[in-house]
Amino acid sequence: MTELEERGIARRRLLTWFSGFGLFGSAILSAFSNFVFIKPRATYGPPARFAIGKPDEFPPGTRISLDVRRVCVVREGSKVAAISTTCTHLGCIVGVSDTGFACPCHGSRFDQDGNVTGGPAPKPLPWFKVSLKPNGDLEVDKGIEIPPGTYYNV
Amino acid sequence: MNDTTKQSGVWTAVKELPGNVWSSIFRNPLPSSDLERASTSFTNFFLHIHPVKVHKNTLRPIYTMGLGLMSFFLFLILVVTGVLLMFYYVPATTQAYDRMLDLRGSVAFGIFLRNMHRWSAHGMVALVFLHMCRVFFTGAYKRPREFNWVLGVLMLLVTLFLSFTGYLLPWDQLAFWAITVGTSIAGYAPLVGQQIKFLLLGDTTVGQEALLRFYVLHVAVLPVTLVLLIAVHFWRIRKDGGLSRPEESGGAALTMQSAPAPNVAVSVKAVPVAKKHLYGLQGFVRGPFTKIGNVPDNSVFSWPNLLIAELFVFVMTVAIILCVSLMFNAPLEEPVNVMHPPNPAKAPWYFLGLQEMVSYSAFWGGVGIPGLFVVLLLGVPYFDRNPKGVGRWFARERLLANTIFLTLVLINVIFIVIGTFFRGPNWSFVSPW
Repeated sequence: MTELEERGIARRRLLTWFSGFGLFGSAILSAFSNFVFIKPRATYGPPARFAIGKPDEFPPGTRISLDVRRVCVVREGSKVAAISTTCTHLGCIVGVSDTGFACPCHGSRFDQDGNVTGGPAPKPLPWFKVSLKPNGDLEVDKGIEIPPGTYYNV
Repeated sequence: MNDTTKQSGVWTAVKELPGNVWSSIFRNPLPSSDLERASTSFTNFFLHIHPVKVHKNTLRPIYTMGLGLMSFFLFLILVVTGVLLMFYYVPATTQAYDRMLDLRGSVAFGIFLRNMHRWSAHGMVALVFLHMCRVFFTGAYKRPREFNWVLGVLMLLVTLFLSFTGYLLPWDQLAFWAITVGTSIAGYAPLVGQQIKFLLLGDTTVGQEALLRFYVLHVAVLPVTLVLLIAVHFWRIRKDGGLSRPEESGGAALTMQSAPAPNVAVSVKAVPVAKKHLYGLQGFVRGPFTKIGNVPDNSVFSWPNLLIAELFVFVMTVAIILCVSLMFNAPLEEPVNVMHPPNPAKAPWYFLGLQEMVSYSAFWGGVGIPGLFVVLLLGVPYFDRNPKGVGRWFARERLLANTIFLTLVLINVIFIVIGTFFRGPNWSFVSPW
């Protein structure tokens, strides 16, 4: 009789444990699924990879800042590179200056290769991969960072 | 005969209809006795948040300065004006700014409502902060009110986040670049920073997705969160034994003093209570509010004393917001130009201290030090276990704690002043004179 009672209590405790575990687990799962939901799978913003035009449009010696794309196209001789103009500090657009780049927001300064020369920026401006499309257009891929100083030969 | 009684019954019902309807809604007549004064707090849904009686210290204007209440009333103004503004606002990058111009040009009272909303938001940030200072300097966060302090700190954070999300909505230059800077700061948080930034923006750059997300946060998620926190905050004031106050000089005052009440309308004579504990449900709240033992009764009825005080604060708050909104227009900068940040790109004043710190180091200024500050604030009642000095401004026993807190507040203010007046283009130091 007592043994039966004890078994009943043990079973009740086990069931309580299971249901508690189940409820708590479901709560965690549903909270997690909310995070999955609000993290977009596709974004609607500007594409990371885009064509910037024929190499001839950038004669040797040019440093042209494409503000919409947020890259600066640099050409020295036959070498082309695309340097980010998004400040590594807090995301403002750096302007092209005589000595390199300068950020209007918090005064970060960079040299011509994007290395930090002053201000609060913690990292140099990244360089993006440049390639030639089959139709002869230069293409910049902001999804792929390359080591600074790596140029593409046209 | 049956007929006539029926008729007279109907006639009486018609005659008494207004009175019956009235008394079915308002169960309590305008109070004229203590019993009726007490039952206003029980029988009226909107008044039952009040205790039947409050301690006289609660009503001293110099003690609370009504700061918490003002913050709450500003929140009410913000909810009302915010809902009204929602009728005309469209959270789309192509329309948002035009809608701001429409508020100025073609919506009746549009600019006035926007002014009220903006200035109330500024006022709420300031008053929530001042309320926190009041609670600290009077030692009001001590046992048993530790958790209510924690709730208060959380509400300060929600308030700041509410104003931050509200800033993006006009989609002007200030909005765009404040959000660019703000979300980049979030990106510096260790480990999850970039994830948080991506979740906030819904994209890799600030754009339509970010505007929609900030809109939803601003009009739904955060206000609901704040309402919930406010409810618990108010509930706990009651359950933690009312507002903090100095300790009563308990047993010493055995002589029956009838409490002098110079500045309140209704006071109650102290009644000796037998040692046998005769307290009701309210006795279960911590730090018993109900008078137990032979202490002078320093409480007064909430009706009308507390209500008149609250009404006064409400009228003053609304009046000031109305005046400010009539005199000053809420700022609206040029429409967004994603290519040219204004120089300098300044955040609203209450974030300029943060921006000043960020200009030295993005991680330490934007995440490290503020994070540490929040953790310290949350921990205040658990570190400071000294029960002395509750209920008085700048109590001697709390000299150290008050000095530390005041120093931190002053540093914050100094950073805000520097960021506001001493920073020019490229965030370089300029003199305002």
